[in-house]
Amino acid sequence: MIRSRRWARRIRILAAVVIGIVLASPMLYMVAGSLMSGSQLSVQPPQVVPDSLHFANYSEAFSGLTRVIQVRSFVNSVIFTVGVVGLQWLLCVSGGFVVAKMRFRARNLVTAVFAISLFIPIVTTLIPTFIVTFELKMINTYPGLILPVAAQTGFGSLLFRQYVSQIPEELFDAARIDGASWWAIFRRLVVPLAKPATAAYLAISVLTAWNMYLWPLVAAEGGSLQVLTQTLSVVGTTFQGEVTPQNVIFASVVIVTLPMIAVFVAVQRSFMRGLAGSGVE
Amino acid sequence: MPAPASRRNGLAAATFLAPNLILFGIFVVVPIIGGLGLSFTTWDITNGLPKWVGLANYRRMFNDPLVGQAVLTTLKFIVFGVVPTVVIALGLAMLINVRFRLVGVVRSLYLIPAAMSFAASAVVWRYIFLDGPGYGVLDYVISRFGITPPNWLASETWALPALDIITVWLSLPAATILFLAALQRIPDALIEAATLDGAGPVRRVRYIIWPGVRYMTALVAIVALLSFTNGSFDLVNILTKGDPLYATQTLVYYIFVTSFSYGFFGYAAALSVLQVALIGAILVTLRILSRLAR
Repeated sequence: MIRSRRWARRIRILAAVVIGIVLASPMLYMVAGSLMSGSQLSVQPPQVVPDSLHFANYSEAFSGLTRVIQVRSFVNSVIFTVGVVGLQWLLCVSGGFVVAKMRFRARNLVTAVFAISLFIPIVTTLIPTFIVTFELKMINTYPGLILPVAAQTGFGSLLFRQYVSQIPEELFDAARIDGASWWAIFRRLVVPLAKPATAAYLAISVLTAWNMYLWPLVAAEGGSLQVLTQTLSVVGTTFQGEVTPQNVIFASVVIVTLPMIAVFVAVQRSFMRGLAGSGVE
Repeated sequence: MPAPASRRNGLAAATFLAPNLILFGIFVVVPIIGGLGLSFTTWDITNGLPKWVGLANYRRMFNDPLVGQAVLTTLKFIVFGVVPTVVIALGLAMLINVRFRLVGVVRSLYLIPAAMSFAASAVVWRYIFLDGPGYGVLDYVISRFGITPPNWLASETWALPALDIITVWLSLPAATILFLAALQRIPDALIEAATLDGAGPVRRVRYIIWPGVRYMTALVAIVALLSFTNGSFDLVNILTKGDPLYATQTLVYYIFVTSFSYGFFGYAAALSVLQVALIGAILVTLRILSRLAR
């Protein structure tokens, strides 16, 4: 009985490992392919392990004939992501705090509007958002790229509202008795205590911003504001994709994805713990 | 003196909320209301200002065969994407809800695709789906099982399922992590006790695991629904442009083409209203389904 259960456990772990590898295989294939020579990558049957490591593919992604990764787009992606996440975080912590702990007349209305906005994808408001940004003379500028996305505060505000409302009321009472202003309460109580929510928020919003394709596509028509998702998408189908070697394209995708994998690894532990409620591992 | 808890904090609330609500108002609320207004006008790139036309755009939708096709394509894309995502994610979460030494590393394998954008995935999967003898990796694997692989992105039948496969793959990490969080709240002792009482895997799922994670299912489905709605644009625009023969033209993509390629802003705004109504209808259906399941 016990013995068979031990075997069941082993089989289950083996299955978990095998299925995990299958699920990750497109990425593993991408990484392996990014290190192969062009001839090895086109061989049939497909090869899994690079016979020698062609790191030149990576430098070619930056230089090469087609320059898939332009340093400019990389910088733009960083500015866009940091701008969106930094600004939106501030708006969402303060907004979530207000909705969770302050009393005012429009409180339920504000909460409801945040919630409704979650179900109206940016695609459906693309034209009016474009027109608003255009009228503000912000098309092809960094503010025009960043502000309309940073303004999507519904999700973050509700996330922080949820978290801050769980902070015991006594802490706020104590701070008020000590004469703390709302600003002091926000800075010294809410922001530090909301750290786990901040970790979850950062994980989600950094990924979303870095990987965003649609808004930059319409807000930055010119080349100088292009972000990485756009430059990548160009090699997806067009002529440029036909002339760029596959191994260089794979190397480019790895370069674009690597920062997010780093973010992912950095926050995974605290993110999982925050979700699970208690540290199970 | 400290303010009594019962007093309203209107001024402080307004100050703290102002930056958030001003930006939210300009770039979210105004576009939503503006879009609704725009849907009652015609506004082509060629004729200056929007002109009020009442319900003409909405009538036009009924006579436009591409609308029906786009709605059907969208529904197919969502149903054949969201349902597998929910079912597979629950299975995966149960599989990795086990403790062993390297469980963290193994879980990373399940979660890491979340780091990839739709754009990056599109580029990689294009090579995986490559058609023709001696090209794509997937075709090689499939033909090893003695099955003739279909043309993927070039086929009217298989292009949409191909996009579904990519989107399911990208949606699984978030769905799995949510289910895993729910599973970890079920006490191990409960499952062990049931096992000792002779409950097999099926009954354990039926009576302990499913009741424990059911509340999470709606959230998983909603997150996946939004990801499929947004993601369908990225993938379609990069990989298929709605081809072949409109087989992958989702409503979201049709809206984009109508506005940014043809310049029919008013009509595109009406289509956007339809898209939001479609999401609303799906949410209502989800709610009814979850009521029935109870």
